[in-house]
Amino acid sequence: MIFHSLDFIAFFLVTLAAYWALPLRAQNVLLVVASYVFYGWVHPWWPVLLFATTFVDYWSARRMNERPDQRKAWLWISIVSNLGLLGFYKYFGFFADNIAAAGAALGWHVPDVTLRVLLPAGISFYTFQSMSYTIDVYRGHAPARTRFIDIAAFVSFFPHLVAGPIMRATNLLPQVERPRQFSAAAARDATVLIVWGFFKKLVIADNVGVIANKVFALESPEFFVLWAGVFAFAIQIYADFSAYTDIARGVAKWYGFDLIRNFDHPYLATGPVEFWRRWNISLSTWFRDYVYIPLGGSRRGPWRNAANIMITFLVSGFWHGASWNYVIWGAYHGLLLVIARSVPRSAKREGGLLRTARVLTMFVFTCIGWLIFRETELNQLWRDLRLSPVASSALGRDAGLYLFLLAGLYSLPLWIHDLWVEFGDPSLVTAVDAEEAEVHWRRVAMQAVMCGLMMASILTLRSQTTLDFIYFSF
Amino acid sequence: MNGSAFAKASAGQAGLSLCLVLAGTLAGPLGLRAINGALPGAAVRDSYLPSVETPRPREPFDQEAAQAVREVQPQFVVIGDSMAGIRIDPLQLSRLTRTRVIGLYQQGSPVAYWYLAFKNLVVNNDLKSVRGAIFFFRDDQLTTQVQVAPGSLDRVALDREPELDRLLATERLGVFSGVHRAARVAYQFDRTRLWLEPLINTAPAGSPELLQAINTEVFALDKLRKFEAADLAAATDAALDLPASVARSLLPEIIRLAAQANIRTAFVRVQRRPTSDGPPLQSAALKKYADDLKTYLIGHGAYYYDDWGDPDEPLSLYADGDHLTADGRVRYTQRFAEKHAQFFQ
Repeated sequence: MIFHSLDFIAFFLVTLAAYWALPLRAQNVLLVVASYVFYGWVHPWWPVLLFATTFVDYWSARRMNERPDQRKAWLWISIVSNLGLLGFYKYFGFFADNIAAAGAALGWHVPDVTLRVLLPAGISFYTFQSMSYTIDVYRGHAPARTRFIDIAAFVSFFPHLVAGPIMRATNLLPQVERPRQFSAAAARDATVLIVWGFFKKLVIADNVGVIANKVFALESPEFFVLWAGVFAFAIQIYADFSAYTDIARGVAKWYGFDLIRNFDHPYLATGPVEFWRRWNISLSTWFRDYVYIPLGGSRRGPWRNAANIMITFLVSGFWHGASWNYVIWGAYHGLLLVIARSVPRSAKREGGLLRTARVLTMFVFTCIGWLIFRETELNQLWRDLRLSPVASSALGRDAGLYLFLLAGLYSLPLWIHDLWVEFGDPSLVTAVDAEEAEVHWRRVAMQAVMCGLMMASILTLRSQTTLDFIYFSF
Repeated sequence: MNGSAFAKASAGQAGLSLCLVLAGTLAGPLGLRAINGALPGAAVRDSYLPSVETPRPREPFDQEAAQAVREVQPQFVVIGDSMAGIRIDPLQLSRLTRTRVIGLYQQGSPVAYWYLAFKNLVVNNDLKSVRGAIFFFRDDQLTTQVQVAPGSLDRVALDREPELDRLLATERLGVFSGVHRAARVAYQFDRTRLWLEPLINTAPAGSPELLQAINTEVFALDKLRKFEAADLAAATDAALDLPASVARSLLPEIIRLAAQANIRTAFVRVQRRPTSDGPPLQSAALKKYADDLKTYLIGHGAYYYDDWGDPDEPLSLYADGDHLTADGRVRYTQRFAEKHAQFFQ
């Protein structure tokens, strides 16, 4: 089931009404049932995989608790089963194709063993989340739970099941286990988040996504057209992914849960280090805590640190998709980070001009990364990276400018929002995670007006072409 | 105020603030009605497709065209888009078949247009001697999802078109068509969209000519990557399921109308542009679809002909795309009259 459908809105309202009428235990049962219905709405066999993941990790964690001498074995069972499932569905075709290609290069015939199975949506997200539970139990950061239904609710919680944010057991499980109370203030902020999410998805991401798709469908786009398309994709992926997490956070809030913020205005980052503190925060911190730090982090000298960063980013790139361009994208960002870390920066706060220059430079580097990310054909990528602005025709320049302005026009509210939150008064437009002591009526009035405007924009400007959330395919 | 009284008051205030935000969300778009009301232009009229369109300025039904058809009192009617217009010369066909033939052509028109033209200009137009209607189409055009751009059907639509409205509502909006309809009526967002969306999309171009050049030159079909074209073909192939699509199309309604009015129908699938080596390639899925369509149409008493692979239609007859040259049109009409003489009996 997708968020931007009336099916989902009906599902949400019915489930919500039943949810708040039930006691805690029954609420968790309802959440699990609702989550499995949500996940199996289009492909009824997908919940089977979800259940298998949940059961293996629940059982592994319990066995770790009951048999401390076998803790390591049960951890490996959890990791192998999760990564095995992920590998089978996501990477089997990639490895089979590459082995076949390597065999062909050596003159060997390797039979075609391509799987004709659909990648289950969100499998990369929920396997990582579920795996983090067993790792945390193994490390002693979280106790093994005895109630299966709580673990099932933690793994399958539908608002963030398909595209995150990836929640840690130490954060979400206590919320699953403790009694929850309906908060009108949280529901109000949740509504703002949901409407903002829908606006970003339907008005911004889908409209600029059409531009990006058209440009990346061209055989030989000229320089300005190509980079206007990359700019459009940069907006699309940010608006699209952050929209999903905003809707997820908003929906979760209505059920009394707080999911972590996954984006913190990443295109206002002044460098690679800051960018990764602002972009897909839940995944970045997951890789930091479960890959980078276990590899040794920065504790073993600068060379080893650089190697650890590169390994972490290569794995992160590969996590995004079974294709070489994602691996190159990971390597590119790893390299940026290694270089950035090796350059000493002044501890003094930067002035406006320097900061603006840094933000713009980082945005250009990010866009180069998005070109690598979006372009799955390596030959085409190589061609694109060598394009010269000088060779562009007059029509190519005008077309590029038009596409750039169009993408800029649709994304204007996103830029204004991010700049406002970064430099203005964030309390007016962001959700308040803590309970309010009193209602700030000026803020509420602003929220009501903004929601009305966004709703009117959704109705009049939503793209005629509805695109799937990009991160569904990861 | 003690603790619990304070908490109660706070909860009340928070509840009120929630209601305000929900009210803002739902009431905000009502402002579109005020914007629409202040718009200059033609008078707003109820749409003939109320489930999918709010009241908007519309062109009236083309009474002159209806009158012209009545004056001719045709025996055969050719209906379609430019594929029909560029193939059949009605006057030539009239001479060759010794019947009265007219063409109801509209360039780039969807099946919904053909359906309404057939219903309102032929079946329900007080014609005494109509014997047959011939529809020209490409590939799966007869059963693809009914697409209707606002205004495109105005000249052939009456004030109410319940069958088309029902089909569009079911097909596009599913079980929630009532919710969509209520939202359309309440907010009138379609009308705002009609001027706002083009404004946003054209403003950055500066001139319509530049936008035209971008669409026709920068993003021309032959500039697409090959795999994109292959993906498009694959996506189309995936939708080529006649049993699933025919029920969601206007084809059964066209056949029903024709049977009711005792009008014979013929459906002619035109050949896409051939190559220099012969007829164009078609996928196995498309071929199967065409076979299924033939079986369906013949099973419902219609006449069916597939131009695909016809040796009388070499590449030399074609101008641009799937269109024929002027000479090609003459030759096609002549061959059409000869091949399908039985239909005109």
